[in-house]
Amino acid sequence: MDLKLDATSRTPAVILDSAGAHLGISGESYPEDVTGFYAELTSALNAYFESGAKTLTTQIKLTYFNSSSARALMELLELLDEAAGAGIRITVNWFCDPDDDITREFAEDIAADVANAKVVICDLV
Amino acid sequence: MEFDRFFKFSQLLLRDEFVLSYSGYVSEDILLAVGNTLRVRLEDHARDGTQIRNVFSIFVELMQNIIRYGVEGPHPGSDAGEKPSFGIVMVSENDGHMDIIAGNYVAKDEAKQLVDRVNELQCHSHDELRHMYRERLRRSPDRASKGASLGLIEIARRSTLPVMCEIMPASGSLSFFMIRASV
Repeated sequence: MDLKLDATSRTPAVILDSAGAHLGISGESYPEDVTGFYAELTSALNAYFESGAKTLTTQIKLTYFNSSSARALMELLELLDEAAGAGIRITVNWFCDPDDDITREFAEDIAADVANAKVVICDLV
Repeated sequence: MEFDRFFKFSQLLLRDEFVLSYSGYVSEDILLAVGNTLRVRLEDHARDGTQIRNVFSIFVELMQNIIRYGVEGPHPGSDAGEKPSFGIVMVSENDGHMDIIAGNYVAKDEAKQLVDRVNELQCHSHDELRHMYRERLRRSPDRASKGASLGLIEIARRSTLPVMCEIMPASGSLSFFMIRASV
């Protein structure tokens, strides 16, 4: 269930560390195949949650993502929120560039629809 | 092509504060290569990181729209394999802002609908576009569904001037669709 994907010029680095209960997504996201790229993360996360995980801290540090990735990120947050609804303690620290209002608004809008997980929006420094 | 026509073409492109243009078949590989070049060029031309981000973001959405919805154009190749989309994109600096213009062929009967969708975005405020984006995100990405695509709304949100578009008749059953955003 652990996952480690190195960043490429158009896909972010992704690390799911089950022992450390940590998920990190950082870099840029405008993959050629958005669905395929995020499906790998979704299946690793599902396996992690089904293994009896109690907690997960997620760190999102994306400096750029396109609109197709925005939809994938919304679905990722929905998956995390569902797991939180099932009793897993989930925190998402979402780092946004303070100069990028639109990305911050996107993070705020996604966070507003999350009922069970804790989403904290912070400044990327 | 004769040299005099080729020279006229080069003179058209090199006027004004020209940053970058690409014309030809558009694929994901082309998007990546031209996008990387655009970023390097913007380092020399752009005001700040915010302008670079907004220009690059609009560029990616425009190129992906061409890849997804564009057609081959008036000189189609063989029937075999995946159909490449033909498009042209240009970034230029005008009076302190950057214009990003893209053009591609579309089926004549789809052109009107596309223009309506872009024009609809023009009359919305920043907050209304934000709300539209959020609503659109929750709907299926079905191409035929009503209203502007997520990509078009993204372009409108990052453009500081209203997004403009126009269609010109092209040969046969095709129209040429042009769209401009400014940052």
